[in-house]
Parts: sequence; structure tokens; C-alpha cells
Amino acid sequence: MSSDDDIAIRVSGLGKRYLVPQRHEASNSAAPDWRARLKEFFPGLLSASDTDYFWALRDVSFEVKRGEVYGIVGDNGSGKSTLLKILSAVTPPSEGEALLRGRVGSLLEVGTGFHPDLTGRENVFFNGSLLGIPQAEIRAKLNEIITFSGIGEFIDVPVKRYSSGMYVRLAFSVAALLQSDIMILDEVLSVGDAAFRAKTEGGIKKAIDQGRTVLFVSHNPKSVASICDRAMILHKGRKMFEGSAKDALAEYLSGDYRHDGLPTDANERHRESDHADLTKKARFQHPSLPAPSHVLKELSVHDSTGAPRASFKTGEEVRFRIRYEGIEDPAHNFFAVLIHNSVQERVATLHSTHTGRPLNVNGSGIIECVVPSLMLGDGLYSIMVDSGAYDFRTRQHVSLDCVQHALYIRMSNDGLFGGVGLGEFQGTGSPSQWSLLDRASR
Amino acid sequence: MDDVRIIRPPSRIPKLDLGEVLRSRELLWVFVRRGIFARYRQMALGIFWSLLEPLGLLIMMSVVFGMILRVPTGGFPYPIFVFSALIPWLYFSKAVNGTASSLHENIAIISKIYFPRVLLPLSALMREMFDSLMLFVLLVVLAWIYGFPPSWKLLLMPIVLLYLSIPALGIGLSVAAISIRYRDFRPMLALVLQAGFYVTPILYPVALVPEIARPIYMANPVYWGVEFSRWIILDQPMTLHPSLIVSLLICAGLLIAGYYIFASYEREAVDVQ
Repeated sequence: MSSDDDIAIRVSGLGKRYLVPQRHEASNSAAPDWRARLKEFFPGLLSASDTDYFWALRDVSFEVKRGEVYGIVGDNGSGKSTLLKILSAVTPPSEGEALLRGRVGSLLEVGTGFHPDLTGRENVFFNGSLLGIPQAEIRAKLNEIITFSGIGEFIDVPVKRYSSGMYVRLAFSVAALLQSDIMILDEVLSVGDAAFRAKTEGGIKKAIDQGRTVLFVSHNPKSVASICDRAMILHKGRKMFEGSAKDALAEYLSGDYRHDGLPTDANERHRESDHADLTKKARFQHPSLPAPSHVLKELSVHDSTGAPRASFKTGEEVRFRIRYEGIEDPAHNFFAVLIHNSVQERVATLHSTHTGRPLNVNGSGIIECVVPSLMLGDGLYSIMVDSGAYDFRTRQHVSLDCVQHALYIRMSNDGLFGGVGLGEFQGTGSPSQWSLLDRASR
Repeated sequence: MDDVRIIRPPSRIPKLDLGEVLRSRELLWVFVRRGIFARYRQMALGIFWSLLEPLGLLIMMSVVFGMILRVPTGGFPYPIFVFSALIPWLYFSKAVNGTASSLHENIAIISKIYFPRVLLPLSALMREMFDSLMLFVLLVVLAWIYGFPPSWKLLLMPIVLLYLSIPALGIGLSVAAISIRYRDFRPMLALVLQAGFYVTPILYPVALVPEIARPIYMANPVYWGVEFSRWIILDQPMTLHPSLIVSLLICAGLLIAGYYIFASYEREAVDVQ
């Protein structure tokens, strides 16, 4: 463990509960809800039982070292905002403790307290003071704010006359002045147009370079991966995963954290393997799709001799075998293997309908997909398996069962691409010959 | 770097960090300024409204009670008799209302940024004091016109306002904190203030109150604010009464109650909204 002085934020066993007595009363709507109302308003009167409480956050512990950039990702309602509110002292926790060493600046929102009737200048002073910036400093940096936001002569116009873009840019420019040892940032990157976003991201990177400790929350796991050193995933108020930002991204996108009984160690989960039991894996679900039919049972990966293997050289033959059971829908006629890199960009689509023919796959069986030469660069790739119905006449495509993250395979160049090689983010390489056709002499 | 913040569940004994309030006085001024600017910025007549509104009230009262009902005032012209009581009363009632709604009005800020919450009621109080000082100038001018020239006693007027701030803050803090959870308290407050207007000698002199009820009548803290104000402006004779002690005790009680109620409810403000 590192020495105590290195720790900027230490959170131990933090929890927050809310009294929500109406929760089960709602299931029984005919029953009078006066009891629930009474409980809400006078918690001491009727003994509030444990079921009347909703834990928005429970037993969350983590440490952030000084100068570290720590990300928090999670779905809506996972407790991210509650956690930030507790750490910003906006709301008290119900249990546990948090220790923050250094001046804390917290940006749960940009432009807090902006009053529509007041001018940009007045709002800058108010908002800045709320953030804890001394008036003298705001006065000294006012020109900087005006330039950075690009507001110009509009600074003395009431902010209700601003376009929403101007409003946000001004708000963010004040926030950019905030210089504290610990910065708590909530979704603040996602404002403004692309050019301004680049500017703000630059601002955050600068803060990071200056050695500030940053706690960063986002709905967008990719921005977490690109900014943070480490990250955690919150789900239903609990910490489900903690690790490097890249692992957290892979874990978050896989959706595995939602399921119990999986190894909690990311390294164990994000390792190449030659087969996977698909029955326990998360299904891709979408409101426009029918419920998954769960016909996909197993995926295995093999080399050209048919032996199971998880690591391949670029350009080698790879065979995917999918075992399925209980296909009853006669329209079910395709399988697909979709390959994604570590930031979840599609790098290859291997689809049975590419052959131009439907597959007759009723009942149970194993289907094999042979890729004579898989041209992918160095890296760990996630394999997605899809299957469903495709109508060749109307070109209607319906996915009936889809496992987003079946397993991972590893690719390495190993000789096929020498020189600079071929990385995971460099697209597909094709073997190529290079010769000099003509040399103009001087 | 020796700044250490420890965040724990709230302790059972409610307590406000008054040292922190003192350290945030710059922010307090910013709140006061914002409140004053924001209130009048959108009005064509701007800050004059704070004068026009009580003047309108004064005219209505003078017509109804002074000219139609002919309330006896002990020889003072009715308008100035009412106005010298109306100003302390308006300060009191606006201060109660302002502090009582201060948390609710700023819930958007409270739920995003930490600062000592008590700055909100305090800044509301100071904003009302600013308005009242302007009204006070108007009162002095009006009194002069009616033949009551300013005297050294005017310097005591701020003390009257400060005295009235104590019960106003006590009631305002309690209602601000409680009404976050129990919204019912705000309409109730409006009713109570309305009643308070009639049990304070604003429209009529205390001489009309039956002798037997006076000890209770005079325990009203605002009674003393109003009477002191009339003594300052009109030189109306002032008789001290043991009820003043009772009313000072009530003031102290209200302030202490306000402090504890606010301290115990302010932290859950964000959660209940």
C-alpha cells in the first residue's frame, strides 16, 4: 500500500438511503396510501421498516491517489450523482466516511445559480463566488473569461438573451478558473459545440498535467477511458468493478457487471479464451426487438486443423463454431460473428447472409464459420455472436438472439506485417508488394 | 495542502458551523447584491417599486381608516401615524417571508454546490433591511412634511430594525427548514402574519386595546418595534412595561428554536426538496 500522504480521497463504506415508503404501496394501488403518506411525513410515527428505504448508494469504498484521475461510470440511476453529491458535501451520507485532502472544487453543473435577468458579468461574479473563487481573482481574470468564452460585448447583456451555446460557454469559462487540489467533475465535458468541447477537454487535460486530483463522472465511458487513469463501475448503488480505465470501459460495454456469479477480477474476464458458455452471457436487448430466444449455447474458436485456440497470427485461418439448441422459428436462418476492438469499434463483420443463401438451422446443431485469413492487427478483440431471421426478398433483418461479448481472441502480427506493424486501431492490413517502377535521375 | 475535509453522517446534535459562516462573508455579500439586483432588474420602475408598494398601502389605509372610519390616533395625522408603524411591520413581515422561502427558492443552487446554507436566510434578511432603509428615508421626509422634523433619535432606528430581525430570523429559519419537508407551513405562515398585522397597533393606537388584555398584547415582540418607531418619529410618549421583558424572552426563544430547527433540517434539504 502507498503511504497515507499520497491519498487524496479515501472513501470507506459510504452509503446513502432515502425514505421512499410509497414504493410497495404502488404495487397495490387500490389500497389507501395514507399510511405511506403518513410515513413519508412523520417517519418517527409509524416505524419505518427497512423496506421503506431505498439505498441509492451502498458500501462503496475506494481510494484516489494524489494526482490521479479517477473515473466513475454507470447507467442512469446507478448512484454516480449521489456519490458526487456526498463528496461535494451537498448531501450527507447515511453511513460510512469520506476523507478528502486538499482544497475541493466541485462542478456538478456549470452555471449554477445563473440568473436570467442578470448580465453575463454579474453572473460570472456570482457563479464564481459560489464555486469559491475570491472576487479579486474573478475581477483579475474577467478578460480571460470573456476571451475564452467568446462572449465579447455580450458580457453586459442579461444572460436570458444568450443562445444556449453562449450561456454554456460562459458558464464553463468561469468553471475553468477553478483551481483546487481536488476537482470533482460531473459530465461537464459534454457541453457546447465540437470546437468548444475540444477547448474544455484541453482545459481538463491541463488541470491533470498540473497534478490535480480529478474525480470524473460520465455517462460516456469512452471519455472516461481517454482521460482517466483508473475507473470504477457503479451499478444499483454498489461498486461492481474497479481497475484501469481501459478495463473498466471493456467491462462496462460488455454489460457483464450486471450479472452475478462472474469472476470479479477483470484480468480474468478480459483474457483470450478458445471457448465460452453462452447460456450465462448477457443478451443484446432493444425495445424494437423480440425477447432473446436464447438458442445460442456455446462458442468455440479453432485453428485450421480444428484444434481449439485463442491466439492467432495476423492472416491465419480462424474457425468459429457456434452450438445452438431449440431453434423452432422456421424464419431463423442466419448466424454472424462480429469482431470489435477494445474501444468497441467494429473491425470485422462475418455474416452467413454474405454468401447470398439462408442457412437451414432448425432444431439443434453446431455451425462453423471459417475465415481463411483474418487480417487484424495486434490486440485483444471481443467476439459478438448474432443470429436471427433475414428475408432475402424484402431485406428485412431481425436479430433473434445476440450475445454482445461472447469471448476474446488475441491477434499478433508475428511476421506478416513487419516494420511499423499493424495495431489494433489501424484498420485492416492487406498483404502488399512494393517495387520501384521508375526512377527519375537528376 | 493541509486542508482536510471529512464527510460523515450527520451527528445527532444539530449544530451550525458559525466559524464557516464568518469565513464566507464575501459570499454573503454576493448573495445580498444578487438578491437586490435580481429583484428590480426586470421592472421598468426598478428599485422605486420598493417605495411605491408601501406608499400605495399607506394611501389605502389612510383613506379607509383615517378618513372613513376615523380611527383616533391621539392627535397625530393618520398617514404619518400609520406609516411610522407600517415600516417596522413591513420589515418584519418581509424579513420573515424572505428568510422562510430562501431555501426553497434556491434549491437548484443548494443541490449542486456546497456553502453554509444559513447564508441564504441571512442574505434574504439583509436584502429586506436594504429595502427598509430606503423606506425609512421616505418616512423621515414624509414626517417632516407633516411637521415632525428629524431629531437625533433617528439614529436609533437601525437598532429597532436589528431588534425586529431577531424574531424575524427565528421564525424565518424555522419555517425555511421545516417547509422544505412540510410544504404546509408556508400558507400557514401567510395566515399567521396576517393575524400578526391586526394584533399589532399599526392601524389603531394601543389605547383602544382593553386594559386587561394589554399585558398579553404587549408581549408581542413586534409591538415594541412599532412603538419604538413611533416614539422615534412622532415623539409619541413611550411607557415601558414588564411585558417588554417577556417579549425579549420570546425573541431569544424564537432565535434559539430557529437555530436548532434550521441546523437539524438544513442537511436533508437537498434530499427532500
